[in-house]
Amino acid sequence: MLKVEHLTKQYGSTTAVDDLNFEVKSGVVTGFLGPNGSGKSTTMRIILGLDHPSKGRATVNGQNYADLKSPLREVGALLDAKAVHPGRTARNHLRSLATSNQIKLSRVDEVLEFTGITSVANKRVGGFSLGMSQRLGIAAALLGDPAVLLFDEPVNGLDPEGIRWIREFFRSLAAEGRTVFVSSHLMSEMAVSADQIIVIGRGKFITQGSVDDLTKTAQGSVLVRTSDPTLLQQVLLSHGAQVQATNESMLTVSGLSSDEVGKIAFASGLTLYELTPQRASLEEVFMDLTADSLDFAHRQQAAADE
Amino acid sequence: MSDNTLSSTVKAEWIKFHTVRSTILGVAVTFVLTIGLGALITWTVRSHYHEMNPLRKITFDPVSTSLGGTLFAQFAIGVIGVLFITSEYSSGSIRTTLAAVPNRLRLAVSKLIILIASMFVISEIAVFITFLLGQSIFSGVVPTASLSSGSVLRSVILAGVYLTLLAVFGYSLGLILRQSAACISVFTSILLILPIVMFLLPQSWQTSYSKYEPSALGQAMMSPTPASNSFGSATASLILISYVIVFLGVGVTLLQRRDA
Repeated sequence: MLKVEHLTKQYGSTTAVDDLNFEVKSGVVTGFLGPNGSGKSTTMRIILGLDHPSKGRATVNGQNYADLKSPLREVGALLDAKAVHPGRTARNHLRSLATSNQIKLSRVDEVLEFTGITSVANKRVGGFSLGMSQRLGIAAALLGDPAVLLFDEPVNGLDPEGIRWIREFFRSLAAEGRTVFVSSHLMSEMAVSADQIIVIGRGKFITQGSVDDLTKTAQGSVLVRTSDPTLLQQVLLSHGAQVQATNESMLTVSGLSSDEVGKIAFASGLTLYELTPQRASLEEVFMDLTADSLDFAHRQQAAADE
Repeated sequence: MSDNTLSSTVKAEWIKFHTVRSTILGVAVTFVLTIGLGALITWTVRSHYHEMNPLRKITFDPVSTSLGGTLFAQFAIGVIGVLFITSEYSSGSIRTTLAAVPNRLRLAVSKLIILIASMFVISEIAVFITFLLGQSIFSGVVPTASLSSGSVLRSVILAGVYLTLLAVFGYSLGLILRQSAACISVFTSILLILPIVMFLLPQSWQTSYSKYEPSALGQAMMSPTPASNSFGSATASLILISYVIVFLGVGVTLLQRRDA
């Protein structure tokens, strides 16, 4: 189990992580979601004792990471797949890690086999593709058979087959009762691979819940096509809805359910040709939740990209 | 479940140390420079010895002359020390390392143990070979020295100690600066540029301070009889060791305080 309490990290005047509080439970895949630069990696580095928090603390199974006697046996982490000495072979990299935590060397061959990189185990890591490096990083994380696993943006650089493999892999780790904490800036990825989601933006906690919870709390909209859109618009506005004319006969209504829209139209004697509830996608929910937390520069960049 | 110990960290660092090419290459270059240049220097001295003026012949020291290659090898061995830690920062693997060994003092000590043990063995082998080779080249033409003399034996051993200390000095700079290029330029500046700067200073300052330069201390360590205006070998060794301890202390403190 992972726990973060009042965690704050400041770099000079910039606050990268701002009073974060959350718990990551075992047995499920927990997604850690936020736009790029929202403090996900910093939080993970603090959990691993690599960066010192300015305030607050992060604990693993109730202990500070630095106090773990044999950390690789309790926590496995993949932060940056390319962060391996390029001149060392994959096997030697894993051997040194295993030795440092008194893990049997036979385990090195097991994790190489499991991640499918046995054939390149004696090659220097410098020549590895990103996908192969990711597999090596996963092999290193699994080395100590830890109960807690952290992955920072693990699907980056993986091909579709690799992505499917890693999703199933996270599920199987969680099914074994482990704590699986996976960061991503892609809502769509989290929607399919995580059970629980923690959303942060600009270093601040935004929300936490299951994928279903998050989409339910989001506002959906209703598409409605009618004989007299101008009149319907007026009536709906008087009921407190927000209405946008999509085209001549079509309106997009938010703030009311499709049932309510139907009743109001009937009461006003209007004929409806179409009435379609639109469920907000998780992607939209995410954009909605983090919109306020995005930097101005970030938004400008997004605008420029369009 | 057994806890991590200093010995497991030392073993892991040994695997990391000898499984990269830069270490192997550094050791090879150290050998080539110490022995190869040592032989070249002794050959040159042998062939020009008869032209040497009588005063220089009196002060001629076959020991430090035959160990002349160490003044070049010191750069190679310094780089081994630098890269042992800076390659962790340049590749980013320091994070993996510290996640496996969160006790940073233990990590620093483990690396130090590996570095001192391996570089001491390598350096001593190199200096003894170059000494014996040099004396056999001198033999018959130039006066030679023998290891049966206590002061000669001490000088040869201290030449290896000097190289080992420079490897630790490089490592300490690496802990402080974390960047290979910056470390190597600082290392080279201290050993090469400092004497030049000293040379530009007034004569009286030179006399008082130049003996404190690391390279002058090295020269003092590998001379059986102290030259004028230089420390004895024991004092020189202690001064150099204290330099290294200061840099190492700063480096280890920074490693513990800074974010990785």
